[in-house]
Amino acid sequence: MMQAFDYKKQILEPIKSLRGAPREEMYVPGHRTCAGCGPALNYRLVAKAAGKDTIFIGPTGCMYVANSSYLCTPYAVSWIHSQITNGGAVASGIEAAYKTMARRGKYDGPFPNVICMAGDGGSVDIGLQAMSGLMYRGHDVLFICYDNESYANTGIQTSPTTPYGANTTFTPPGKAIPEGKTLFPKDPPQLVIGGHPAVKYVATTCVSYPLDLMNKVRKALNVDGPTFLHMLAPCPKGWKFDEKLTLEMGRLAVETGMWTLYEWENGQYKYSHIPKTYKQVSEYMKYQGRFTHLKQEHIAKMQAFVDEKIQRIKAIAVEAPIPTPKAKA
Amino acid sequence: MAIKVPKDREVPFGAITPAPVRQQELFMTSNWRIVRPVIDHEKCTRCFTCYIVCPDSCWSYNEKDDQMEWNWKFCKGCQLCINECPADALTAVPELDFEDGVVRLEKPF
Amino acid sequence: MAQEKMLSGCAAAAQGAKFAEVEVICSFPIRPYTAIMMELARMVANGELDAEFVHGEGEHAQVSVALGASAAGARAYTGSSGVGVTYAFEVYSPAAGGRYPLQMAIADRTLDPPGDFGSEHTDAMSARDQGWLMGWAATPQEVFDNTLINYRVGEDPRVMLPQFVCQDGYFLSHIADKVILPDIAQVREFLPPYKAPHPLSPLCPVSHGPQIRPDQGAPMDAQRAMTFLEVPKVIEEATDDFNRLFGRNYDPYLEKYKMGDAEIAFFIQGAHANTCKAAIRHLRDQGVKAGMVRPRWIRPWPTTQIAEAFSQVKAIGTVESSTSYGGATRGGNLIHELRATLYDMGNRPLITSFMAGLGGDVILLEDFYYMAKILMQMVKEKKTHQLVYWVGFEEE
Repeated sequence: MMQAFDYKKQILEPIKSLRGAPREEMYVPGHRTCAGCGPALNYRLVAKAAGKDTIFIGPTGCMYVANSSYLCTPYAVSWIHSQITNGGAVASGIEAAYKTMARRGKYDGPFPNVICMAGDGGSVDIGLQAMSGLMYRGHDVLFICYDNESYANTGIQTSPTTPYGANTTFTPPGKAIPEGKTLFPKDPPQLVIGGHPAVKYVATTCVSYPLDLMNKVRKALNVDGPTFLHMLAPCPKGWKFDEKLTLEMGRLAVETGMWTLYEWENGQYKYSHIPKTYKQVSEYMKYQGRFTHLKQEHIAKMQAFVDEKIQRIKAIAVEAPIPTPKAKA
Repeated sequence: MAIKVPKDREVPFGAITPAPVRQQELFMTSNWRIVRPVIDHEKCTRCFTCYIVCPDSCWSYNEKDDQMEWNWKFCKGCQLCINECPADALTAVPELDFEDGVVRLEKPF
Repeated sequence: MAQEKMLSGCAAAAQGAKFAEVEVICSFPIRPYTAIMMELARMVANGELDAEFVHGEGEHAQVSVALGASAAGARAYTGSSGVGVTYAFEVYSPAAGGRYPLQMAIADRTLDPPGDFGSEHTDAMSARDQGWLMGWAATPQEVFDNTLINYRVGEDPRVMLPQFVCQDGYFLSHIADKVILPDIAQVREFLPPYKAPHPLSPLCPVSHGPQIRPDQGAPMDAQRAMTFLEVPKVIEEATDDFNRLFGRNYDPYLEKYKMGDAEIAFFIQGAHANTCKAAIRHLRDQGVKAGMVRPRWIRPWPTTQIAEAFSQVKAIGTVESSTSYGGATRGGNLIHELRATLYDMGNRPLITSFMAGLGGDVILLEDFYYMAKILMQMVKEKKTHQLVYWVGFEEE
């Protein structure tokens, strides 16, 4: 008989300091990701925050191929590969199975955290349909878009989150098209917010703010129903910057307004790490080889796009930032 | 009709493998690095930054000795920890300066 | 208590899923299979079936949801027709290679372009190389029975494969006939609960589907091919048990009709076989020694059983309700595998094919008489003139 059932869900406590973060690694050393890989660090922090009662769904992408070569994975928790097209759907099936197995007494362990770790393509391009279906149906699943702003695994091709003006192998700059990419990116959290009534929590994160990131993961897991995290994960190979600067790129993204850290919960926006004065986008772009071909007029276009985004934030109250490691002087 | 798969080419049932526990020994990446991070324990403030920023979890805290410990087997030499350390306790030193320096192989593995 | 009901193929499939106590269902509407899902939705809403009814956002999602559910350890059920079947294509190999024994009911339908609701086998046939179990039913009773048998075979630890349980759209899916529904206790004796060998679980962490090296690809394929060597034994055991528990009389692989002394024979799958049998009775009244072999499984293809069934026949006509454009016969599909099956026979029969039942066409008794006439001519002249006849389209 279908009836309300008390699923044994854990409540995860906020992490107060780096020292206080759980020491167990659920994403262990031994994977073929590039040195300094932003998505890999992102995965590690997510897995750490989620803990051992977790099932990951890994749509095809860097966080599949680079992580799981060959016939071995770095996931100390259960994990399943999905097609790049169907991360949201496979996650839905797993969650539905646990709901019914728990209800029938076929499974009496802790209700697992079901987390889909999809790249930008697997979230809002080829995977958009499945992601939206999941959000609509109200499954208790955390859908994460780790955004390295391209189809990186296949050799850096443009995706709907690739910034305007980026050089990718499908948007190379040339005589006829000097800026390379001419399209402005989709805004993944905005695709989810407001249009999916079952979703109660959406947030953005950046690897450069690890405590903020881990706490948002925990908050999302604690919320009942589908949740969405848009996580900036700088990619040294795709963005063409020195691999030791991964966290620096994340900070500059926030400090220039290219990336905004916020939470949306039950209709309310809460922002964090809002700069008192925004740096110019050129401060961010100058480190990245994918932008070096741009002329002044292109950078100005990018600045205008970011300025418009920032205007919409300025009106809203800023929340006190959560402690984060200091940047080098 | 009899098919026999050579042992070194075997694939487990349904391509389902056990999960690793603490490390994935089948994929050691020590031979990727050209430099390794060397720690000055005096300067180190035990802030745990290096621990949190490594994508390969190569820094851990040794409670007993109150020291940060480095994982020789997996460090790729990306220098994120060196770049982020707020106390300047980490320096990049060429890998081949060390007795146990890992020689770069011609093939990746 | 067993009860007898008048059920269409769709209703019978839904009853099969209900008796199989499926745990996760994923729906998406497309004619003509939709009625299966509507029936299941009604059962779930009324509390007759305790399952998660997931509204998939498309057929690709349906198979993906079912795959995830199966990986987590739940018995999963889904279905489709026509272009829905081809839309889900990407997920078929992952489901079979990942060894997730979900079940997909297919009420077949002609593929676009353009829209055509009529029955044709091409949709499911196009997926026959993906590594699933597959077969067509001929009656609503068989649809119900196949639902249970396929779960039993598919979930067997020696098999662990997903199954396509197929039926003719409209002719079977929407026409009612007598179905005996068993007692749930009998079903539970026949079909144990599904137990995944390595479920995705927090209790025992596993990794499903890490990337492999190219040199491991062929061994992966070989592993999947070798499984099909195990399947026949499981089919035989399951069919024996089924017959015993439910009082049926199925041959594990084939329905053989008047093959004892047949000189000409039809090789036909699905519901049009019922018309074929009526035609055979009439032909026999005219003194024609006709017979029929209807495969109940085409994956695995029952090679030895088919060869044995046709060992004394002089001419065979495959009835093709699916297309293989540009194929060896410029016609259908069954003839290729039948010719391969019988090639090494000493004194092998003549084999031709008849395109019939495409697009939603009824196959009339007259069509079977036409086919029989051609087969008899072949026997008389000891010669095959054409490898394919498009019934109703040939110049006289």
